Amino acid sequence: MRLFARGCGLSQLPYTATAEDLSIRDRLEIETHAASCPECSAALRDAHSVDFALRRAFAPLREQRVMLAPGRVRLALGSRSVERSTLFRLPRVFGRLAEVSVMVGVTLFVIGGSVEYPQSVAPQEPRSVIHEYFRRQQPTDEIDYFRWLRLTHTDEAKTVNEPVRFPVGGRYDYDLVEFVQVPTASPR
Amino acid sequence: MKPAGKAEAGGDLRTDRDLVYAARDGVIEAFDALFYRYRDGIFRLGLAITKDPSAAEEIVVDTFARAHRALARLEPNDSLRPWLYRVAVNLSYNRRPRKNVVLSSLEDAADEALANEEGSPPHVAEQAELRRLVLGAVDELGPKHRLVVMLHYLNGLNLTEIAEVVDCPIGTVKSRLHYALRRLRTHLAAHPELGIEPRRPLLATGLRARRPITAPVPIEDE
Repeated sequence: MRLFARGCGLSQLPYTATAEDLSIRDRLEIETHAASCPECSAALRDAHSVDFALRRAFAPLREQRVMLAPGRVRLALGSRSVERSTLFRLPRVFGRLAEVSVMVGVTLFVIGGSVEYPQSVAPQEPRSVIHEYFRRQQPTDEIDYFRWLRLTHTDEAKTVNEPVRFPVGGRYDYDLVEFVQVPTASPR
Repeated sequence: MKPAGKAEAGGDLRTDRDLVYAARDGVIEAFDALFYRYRDGIFRLGLAITKDPSAAEEIVVDTFARAHRALARLEPNDSLRPWLYRVAVNLSYNRRPRKNVVLSSLEDAADEALANEEGSPPHVAEQAELRRLVLGAVDELGPKHRLVVMLHYLNGLNLTEIAEVVDCPIGTVKSRLHYALRRLRTHLAAHPELGIEPRRPLLATGLRARRPITAPVPIEDE
């Protein structure tokens, strides 16, 4: 005894039968089965009505036309049709490569020539305001002269400060003035 | 239904296979004949998927451009029609919708097609309304089921060709079509003017119909 009613396993057939190119024999088989199976009979009836409604609805759409010429396709293909095999493209590739390398070289030359390499510059000592003041003053007496000399001609002062002594009768045939090498913040 | 590879009436009488062979040999007219044979169908399909007429035109051009590039690889023994539709479907789904474009549904396209229909105005309006109902129901289907319905009812492809287009077994196509038609039947049964009867209990066929449970109501003594 069947406790639960199960759907017919062939109930899919009627719906797809409308779309399939079935032979007359297959159609007859479906009709025969539908005559004895209420579920398939109802499905067949439904499928026909839905199929009819769909065909009627899509009928005007199937008449749609588009005004397109095959020239559009040729236009889309135009650039590609000119291209040939890779062997034909090789000279063009080399030419392009030469152009690019020249461009890169010129660019590097222009950029490299315009940039000055930084020179090794000795760090400048901070200039003292007091030194600047005394450097501008004209020497009035001997002491001032030596002070001025020490402030302005520091290179000569270094030379003089060297411990090497020339022989007597030479350039420094007198008692050299010993300059204090260490700069002082305040004038003496 | 027109079998694949056959020449259309009024057009070039050669088959697709002959035209593909001729196009391979560089005969431009052969490729043009293929274009004229399939451009409308591909346009309709592209329009139904993208809902954008200019996009559908571009899809036609792109599809035939691809076909032209693939001429050397095409197997003329296979049917050309499913191959073209498959390319068109892929192009349609891969196309990004353009901004600021008013998309037209299937119903709008049907209205445009029916603009010149003859008949009394009430009759034309009634037919347009029925079409709008059916095509609106088709639009509500899922993309896979909708595609199968469109390929069959709009482009006239049979199940074997649809299976080639969507690249799945024919059993899957049957299942999708069955599901789509049943769904449409459920949708359209609410409109009796379409002639689709609502599902009734199968009383006359020996199956027991579902009846509401009616238990006897006890009468309470006051």
